[in-house]
Amino acid sequence: MPALAVEALEVRFPGLATPALAIAHLTVESGARLGLTGPSGSGKTTLVNLVTGLERAGRGRLAWDGTDIARLSEGRRDRWRAANVGLVMQDFHLFDGLSARDNVLLPLRLSRLSLPAGAGAEADRLLARVGIERRDQKVETLSRGQKQRVAVARALIARPGILVADEPTASLDAEAGATVASLLLELATEAKATLIVASHDPRLLERLDRVVRLEAGRIRETGG
Amino acid sequence: MFRLVVADLRRNALGALAIVLIVAFAAALGVAVTLQERALRLGSARAATAFPLVVGAAGSETQLMLSAVFLQPAPLGLVPGRVLSSLAADPRVAWAAPVGFGDFVEDYPIVGTTQALVDGLGGLRDGRAFARLDEAVAGAAVALRPGDRFHPLHGQASTGGHMHGETTYEVVGRLAPTGTPWDRAVLVPVEAVWRTHGLEAHEDEAHEGEQHEGEQHEGEQHTDEAHASGAPGAAQAPDPQAAIDPARVTAAGAPGVPAIVVKPRSIADAYKLRQEWRTDTTLALFPAEVLTRLYATLGDARRVLSAVAIGAQALVAAAILLVILLHVGQRRRQIGALRAFGAPRPAVFAVVWMEGFALLGLGLLAGVGLGYGAARLIAARLEAQSGVALPVLFTRDDLTPLLVLAGATAVLAAVPALLAYRQSPAAALRG
Ligand SMILES: Nc1ncnc2c1ncn2[C@@H]1O[C@H](COP(=O)(O)OP(=O)(O)OP(=O)(O)O)[C@@H](O)[C@H]1O
Ligand SMILES: [Mg+2]
Repeated sequence: MPALAVEALEVRFPGLATPALAIAHLTVESGARLGLTGPSGSGKTTLVNLVTGLERAGRGRLAWDGTDIARLSEGRRDRWRAANVGLVMQDFHLFDGLSARDNVLLPLRLSRLSLPAGAGAEADRLLARVGIERRDQKVETLSRGQKQRVAVARALIARPGILVADEPTASLDAEAGATVASLLLELATEAKATLIVASHDPRLLERLDRVVRLEAGRIRETGG
Repeated sequence: MFRLVVADLRRNALGALAIVLIVAFAAALGVAVTLQERALRLGSARAATAFPLVVGAAGSETQLMLSAVFLQPAPLGLVPGRVLSSLAADPRVAWAAPVGFGDFVEDYPIVGTTQALVDGLGGLRDGRAFARLDEAVAGAAVALRPGDRFHPLHGQASTGGHMHGETTYEVVGRLAPTGTPWDRAVLVPVEAVWRTHGLEAHEDEAHEGEQHEGEQHEGEQHTDEAHASGAPGAAQAPDPQAAIDPARVTAAGAPGVPAIVVKPRSIADAYKLRQEWRTDTTLALFPAEVLTRLYATLGDARRVLSAVAIGAQALVAAAILLVILLHVGQRRRQIGALRAFGAPRPAVFAVVWMEGFALLGLGLLAGVGLGYGAARLIAARLEAQSGVALPVLFTRDDLTPLLVLAGATAVLAAVPALLAYRQSPAAALRG
């Protein structure tokens, strides 16, 4: 259950006068459940990309349990992310043509030559946990709610200490969104993972321990 | 990883199939050109070596070779009878046989010759050789069976020759297959050809082949001249059913023939004979050598042909690269996503590379097969037309270009793989 420490972080994009993200100080305790909110374009996705090592910060420090991922090379960030982070995105990013089970196992399959012992059983367990019964169903035939639940199972297959979701409920109807929100919260707790969720969804945000509101790339208020 | 590749290819099955087919056709073009060119070269060389030495009247070497080896109808000058008689008597000659053409049965050339050539071509498969002036031996690929009768036609049936109605031959035997144009020939006694064309004792007279079309009864006119002139050494036109008389053919006063096929006893003899019969009035040549020279002349055309094939392949390679790049562009999100969810960069490279290599490699393999099939098909059609056996075969020399091509495929597949490798996962997730 890693903890996050952010110091003097600044991200600029070419063509933008002001930094897309400027965070002087932010800490997330290990095992915390943090929400990120704010208007569109306020920098939520940018921050998510930074804390997952998908993008590198231009300036500042972004350390998970003392590991400053802003300093890691691209390859090492990839490896660090594979070992520590589970990701759930708004539009699923499942691989069409493969079954639900194969999608859950795909990150493991691609990162090593053979599946580690027990991976298959873990995939089955996770799929059962998120309520997917037909594990061999091709993902392109699943409903949107089901797709997001498969994505949640995939995020947890490598037993990550950090679970990050960017608008996990935004493309789902209220009911499916509520199911996914519950699953994220419960599974993060079960896995004892630190959870960071960027969202506009008040019903999801109100269930988190703490919510950080971003505006124009800066932290405006912290609530929860 | 393979599952992913297979799933992705299956998802784009039609596009993948199109790529495989395009690559296959491009590769097939090159393979077919190479194989067909080789088949023609080997096949005609084999046909040419069947006759070690050919003697004809002074004129074009190429034309003499084409007429004697490939039975191409053309007006050739005649070699006087004494040449054959002297060759037949030469101790350095294993056998020498006259070759006289001009007539056809359907589209098969009728060749007037002697027993020596029947044996020289490899003998008979069934029946017997001609013993009378009205008997014939059919080549292996001729649609005539022993017992069949035919009238010779002056000029090919397909180009509207006229019938020598007064002459009838009966097929009495069939030659064993030789894999040369002679498989399509019908052999008759050379005296019978002389008789039909009234060439009983004419020397140094142009014997025009099928060029006769449209002209009226040239043969009959010859007959009249022959009878009228009563040239020395000429016998009266014999009874069509008379027995053949080999001595008459090799007599010094015998009529001329367009070409004489000679089998020398040794290579040294062959060179000496060629030397001796290269005179002001006669021409002696090794058909294989003339053919080689002809090929050397055509070498440039051959190079142009393979350059065209290579150019077509390069264009296809470029087009394929474009298609693959677009395809990867469409999949950027998905491929980038793989990395965001924990796939290492080399795995992303490997997946895209394997997909590209599988498509191109499959196309290449199919193309080699397709090209081989096409070359076989073309060869079969040409064989049926010309009688020349065209061996379509791969040689060890083909291995290098094929390996180079496979290497190029691997490199080509690496281009989109590298792009995917460099694809930022964050940008990919934004879509
Ligand atoms: N690669 C980039 N190049 C230029 N500008 C960028 C890039 N990525 C993000 N931005 C800009 O940075 C700002 C923050 O974008 P970000 O995606 O983080 O917003 P967000 O809070 O996630 O918005 P939304 O709620 O709509 O998802 C935006 O103004 C966006 O245009
Ligand atoms: Mg966003």
